[in-house]
Amino acid sequence: MAARCVLGSIWTSLSGVKSMASSSNMSVFQSITNYPQLSVFGIIQSRGIRQVVEKKEGKTTIIEGLTQDTLAGPQPPNPTAQCPIYQWNLQNKYNYTDVLLLSQFIRSDGGMLPRRVTGLCAQEHRKIAICVQMAHRAGLLPDHKPPLPEGHVPKKPKPQLNRYLTRWSIDSVKPIYRAGLKWCKNRISVGHPALRNNVQYGKKILYLKH
Amino acid sequence: MSSFTKSAQQWATFARSWYLIDARMQPPGKIATMCAIRLQGKHKPIYHALSDVGDHVVVMNSRHIAFSGNKWEQKMYSSHTQYPGGFKQVTATQLHSKDPKAIVKLAVYGMLPRNLSRRTMMQRLHLFPEDDLPEDILLNLTEELPQPREIPRRLNEYSQEEREAFPTLWTPLPQTFK
Repeated sequence: MAARCVLGSIWTSLSGVKSMASSSNMSVFQSITNYPQLSVFGIIQSRGIRQVVEKKEGKTTIIEGLTQDTLAGPQPPNPTAQCPIYQWNLQNKYNYTDVLLLSQFIRSDGGMLPRRVTGLCAQEHRKIAICVQMAHRAGLLPDHKPPLPEGHVPKKPKPQLNRYLTRWSIDSVKPIYRAGLKWCKNRISVGHPALRNNVQYGKKILYLKH
Repeated sequence: MSSFTKSAQQWATFARSWYLIDARMQPPGKIATMCAIRLQGKHKPIYHALSDVGDHVVVMNSRHIAFSGNKWEQKMYSSHTQYPGGFKQVTATQLHSKDPKAIVKLAVYGMLPRNLSRRTMMQRLHLFPEDDLPEDILLNLTEELPQPREIPRRLNEYSQEEREAFPTLWTPLPQTFK
């Protein structure tokens, strides 16, 4: 949270100076990447997030990029992995109830952030998207609803039904008219098969068909 | 116990208790199994099918039950009026809007043994759509049973300290903001 605010302020200062640099024909703005921090050897002297500082000495203007120390937040136990979920060893361990985790990958109107921004790998991005969908349908993210247009009057009052582990969207599902006998029943799907490999801490196995 | 009188021990063994279950955000099937066990008396070591040892069960907030999956849209409740063309099928949503007690009632009815004591056991089941219970039932209640499903917390129910204690998994790179 705090790290993001700091980075946001750095970005505004960088963007301000970038326009000035382009106007003064000096391409000082370098590509900035996050660097791995080895706790054994300390911070490696490599590219990091820099703050651009401008100094005027008489007729010469010096625009310098000073390396900014990254904030000492909690470090992931596996920093060499590509995906943030694998960096924190959370693969197969999260569910639709882990709202604190899921809320880091969603926008304010409830949509998912793109993969190129968050840095997730394809499979984990899909799993997180599925969990976010299930959390929305369960009503666990009440403040991340899309803004309704002004003066919007709902036609019919929707029934407020509690649900959880809903795989399909509410309007898209058709009723099961002929469910069948006990030995050949047309089962109702619960949860999602993408989360089939999740760790079960009790003796119960994960049932995807009820 | 040896210190109790025989009459007190007899009363303690064979008295009919009243149990309370809160069905808010709970799956109706799990609520129904708990009710059925206690209505039959199977939770007692003195159980016998002919001995009528079942207890009373009061279920409150039956309007606020939670179905997993898409059961609100997919699950059908069927009935027949015995007239030709009288086969009626209703989704769980429609049934719940007509009668908020029906889903739990039908679930418990299907879990009880198919004999003549089923009707007497259903008479001992008391369903209430909301949590306002009448006085005489409140006076009879002895124990509240724990809820079968753990209710997950919403995002706004987490305190600011808990949200800050949770580590941020990824940091945005400055160049990706466009």
